[in-house]
Amino acid sequence: MSEFVGFISVVLTIIFYYCSKALYGRIRFVLFSPLLIAPAALVIGLLTLHISYSSYIIGGKWLSILLQPAIVAFALPLYKHYELLKKYFPEIILSVLVGTLSAFLSSALLGLGANFEPQIILSLAPRSVTTPIAIDVSNNLGGIPSLTAVFVIFTGLMGLVIGPLVIRFLHLRSPIAKGVLLGTGAHGCGTSAALSLGSLEGTIASLAMIFAGLATIVLAPVIFPLLLRL
Amino acid sequence: MKKVLKITKMFKLRRIFLALIQIGILYIFSLVGSFLGKVLHLNFPGSLIGMGILFILLRLGIFPYNWVVIGGNWLLAELLLFFIPSVVAIMQYMQFLHREGLDLFLIILISTVTVMVSSGLTAEMITRKGGKAL
Repeated sequence: MSEFVGFISVVLTIIFYYCSKALYGRIRFVLFSPLLIAPAALVIGLLTLHISYSSYIIGGKWLSILLQPAIVAFALPLYKHYELLKKYFPEIILSVLVGTLSAFLSSALLGLGANFEPQIILSLAPRSVTTPIAIDVSNNLGGIPSLTAVFVIFTGLMGLVIGPLVIRFLHLRSPIAKGVLLGTGAHGCGTSAALSLGSLEGTIASLAMIFAGLATIVLAPVIFPLLLRL
Repeated sequence: MKKVLKITKMFKLRRIFLALIQIGILYIFSLVGSFLGKVLHLNFPGSLIGMGILFILLRLGIFPYNWVVIGGNWLLAELLLFFIPSVVAIMQYMQFLHREGLDLFLIILISTVTVMVSSGLTAEMITRKGGKAL
């Protein structure tokens, strides 16, 4: 029975995804992003049918697993645009470092300001990087990994919606800056938004996402204990 | 005409078949990555190690680009699909999010804008200064 529910979950997730993607293709408005519409429809469906998340994820995990080969596949644009990456390496590294540090600082200060417990702040800390890294870092820092996963997705959604607005507001013209902004600010979701701007933007974003992940692994355990002592 | 249709259909099936095999190959890279990460005690997700290995093999010309390009590009094009189950996970935290939702929303909003503005402006300033702006 639960296998059947799992199977239906996968099929429905894929159907909702492609329907919302088609809808988004016609109405290019961020609130119609497949990452908002499809999960909203699924959550409403699951709640009304009284199906628990644990039954849903029996099937859903097969889609999450595909994130593994998808991250490996980022080697393809890196390989294809290697010359560009070599040329812009210092720009990307420096801006990603600035972005990562401001992620730490703003999460810690705002979290303390909202009187959140340290555990919640530590779960917020790695939320702008890709899910597998964020969960790992959250675990090491003493956060709650599953809550971090939710924050990562929140950030991704937020980045999809506000990323293009921030780019327009700042009058950014360089594809490097657009890619770095989306990849550092909103991991894989930002990268998919950058890919729709152009393959150069997408490549830079994927590189920024990877470097932001690395910077977070290395810097978070050093900086966060200091920030929380403020 | 019918024959042409048949051939394009066969071609499509062949592409799907190739894509599936190539996704399998990419998945093996991530498994090898996790294995190496465990053996070498690297504090790193296996998929990123696998990406590094694939990138190096492509650069060295050991592994042909064509062997993974169909499946790889499909995965990258449908990236959002693989995040959907994690978004659905939000339903487990309804109570906590209901209680702290507004604060969390504001923190994530302000912090994400801060990250985007600081990293985007840094990159824009450097590319302009270096005269390398595209």
